[in-house]
Amino acid sequence: MSWLRSFRVVFAKEILEGIRDRRALVAALFFPFLGPALLAVMLSLVSQSSRRADEEGVDLPVAGRENAPNLVHFLEQGARVVAAPGDPEEAVRRGEVDVVLVIPPGFGEALRAGRPAAVRLVTDESRQQARPSAAAAEHLLAAWSRQTAAQRLVVRGIHPAVVEPLAVERVDVSTPASRAASLLATIPFFLVMAVFTGGMPVAIDATAGERERQSLEPLFAAPLPRSALALAKMAGASVFSSLALLETATGFALVPLALPSRLGFSMHLDLGIVTRILLLCLPMVALSSALMVTLAARARNFRAAQTTLSLLMLVPALPGMAIGLMSARPPPSLYAVPFLGEQLVITHLLRAEDVGPAQAGLSAAATLAATALVAALAIRTFERGQPLFDA
Amino acid sequence: MIELEGVAKAFGAIEALRGVTFTVPDGQITGLLGPNGAGKTTALRIVYGVLRPDRGRALVNGVDLAGDRLAAQRRLGVLPHAQGLYTRLTAREHVLYFGEMHGLSGAALARRADGLVRLLGMEDFADRRTEGFSQGQKVKVALARALVHDPENVVLDEPTNGLDVAATRQVRALLRQLREEGRCVLFSSHVMQEVSALCDRVVVIARGQVVAEGTPDDLRRETGRESLEDAFVAAIGSEEGLG
Repeated sequence: MSWLRSFRVVFAKEILEGIRDRRALVAALFFPFLGPALLAVMLSLVSQSSRRADEEGVDLPVAGRENAPNLVHFLEQGARVVAAPGDPEEAVRRGEVDVVLVIPPGFGEALRAGRPAAVRLVTDESRQQARPSAAAAEHLLAAWSRQTAAQRLVVRGIHPAVVEPLAVERVDVSTPASRAASLLATIPFFLVMAVFTGGMPVAIDATAGERERQSLEPLFAAPLPRSALALAKMAGASVFSSLALLETATGFALVPLALPSRLGFSMHLDLGIVTRILLLCLPMVALSSALMVTLAARARNFRAAQTTLSLLMLVPALPGMAIGLMSARPPPSLYAVPFLGEQLVITHLLRAEDVGPAQAGLSAAATLAATALVAALAIRTFERGQPLFDA
Repeated sequence: MIELEGVAKAFGAIEALRGVTFTVPDGQITGLLGPNGAGKTTALRIVYGVLRPDRGRALVNGVDLAGDRLAAQRRLGVLPHAQGLYTRLTAREHVLYFGEMHGLSGAALARRADGLVRLLGMEDFADRRTEGFSQGQKVKVALARALVHDPENVVLDEPTNGLDVAATRQVRALLRQLREEGRCVLFSSHVMQEVSALCDRVVVIARGQVVAEGTPDDLRRETGRESLEDAFVAAIGSEEGLG
């Protein structure tokens, strides 16, 4: 019987068993949607909060507006001044409003007397969502304070610039688009996770699992080239890994459709990009399957294999995410690091940056070379009969 | 025919086999008898090619396992110590899977599987997944799987272990049938009654060495004991590990 036929027979059985394994199916069919779902939720939050701040302006509830008509008039130029709730602190605590400005009755008198006139700004610093409104209110109050101070100085014949030795000009270049783009950096991370989690149950089941159920011994007693056995098990894991990858990528491609059209930025996730991302990920699928089968075959038992592979998954995923968040261009040598190179190239694609064929080619070649190395190791492990007995 | 020539195997500091030589002829049932830990399973594993000997060699129909493992394994039907079934495959799927590994396919393989299901009386559970099978059902599946390619040599590691009386009798009948068909049958056991009921030849193994070999009558004569059990104890020199 030919090598290829041996491979095919074992491969077909791995697929059949995988399809009948609920754990493998959940890993391959449901988990992959987690990443896209998370991204969709985060993006819609970003777009909501930025739309509110950028377009609708900030609501500013003011209590005691009759105490400072001038101040309120000034505030109205930067925010929508509305009536404050009866108990400002309780309302803020409950999150009914983001911020309340309380102007006490003595405000006008203190102002006229030239004493610091107290106002109270009620906020909840622990609420992330409330921060833009609170910051806007503080900003307006500071501006009015400066303006009033300047007027007083002018009246006394002093140029206002004298008390402003420093002129800090803050320029916030972040836009909804760039804030959302930093979220896109999580996409390569989720793709790597999908590659590993999709194939993991099958890789473990086909090696450590078979040993635990003692079904490897009859398999090793059958006239099969051990290399066919090892590679068929890798191929089986690859199929489920690819399935998870395909779903994750499809999920990400659907994210823009699931969100309101006015996202404020464009996501570069059309069909062409998704296809290129999938092609880029194929070497990762091969390498992850080879790694998982090799390590699981050498693991002491089923549980040890699970622990090892769960840790293995984080090793390539985390540095990729860190580098994806960096804005500087990474050094070329990083593209030759398996898993990292792919994540860098994918990040470039998502940011609509130029990716040279050299970078993509380098990362694919490096990953495939690593795959060959690991597969050779797996074949050696199988030829020694190591998966059969305790390592 | 199965031959072991000076086979030695150590696991770390433990010498499981220390130069084992014996021959298993065709058309006979040969029993590999020995106390627990004597090296029976190690010897069988070397015969069916999942372990490599440190020294010596094992041959199946004259083919050296170290030279052409696949050719030797094609002529072997193997029932390992543990049945090792796939819980998500049906009994019949096990038979088909191993049939395909041995190069069978299509209608011929389906007919062969049907024949084995009938031969082993597996009609009731042939198309059920093996999860929750009784020990007897598991052994039957493993036997069908071992015989799917009509092997000239059959190696069984304690085939009746854990079986009830009816199932044990069925397995014994099957082994006799395999002998009538002219096959070479090698099985291991530590149960005396089984060996005396079935075997044409006995190889007694203890502490990794062959301590006696021959027909049950030879054994009794050589040791000067009436029962095979006494002969066995005399041969291995102790009662330790006997079942």
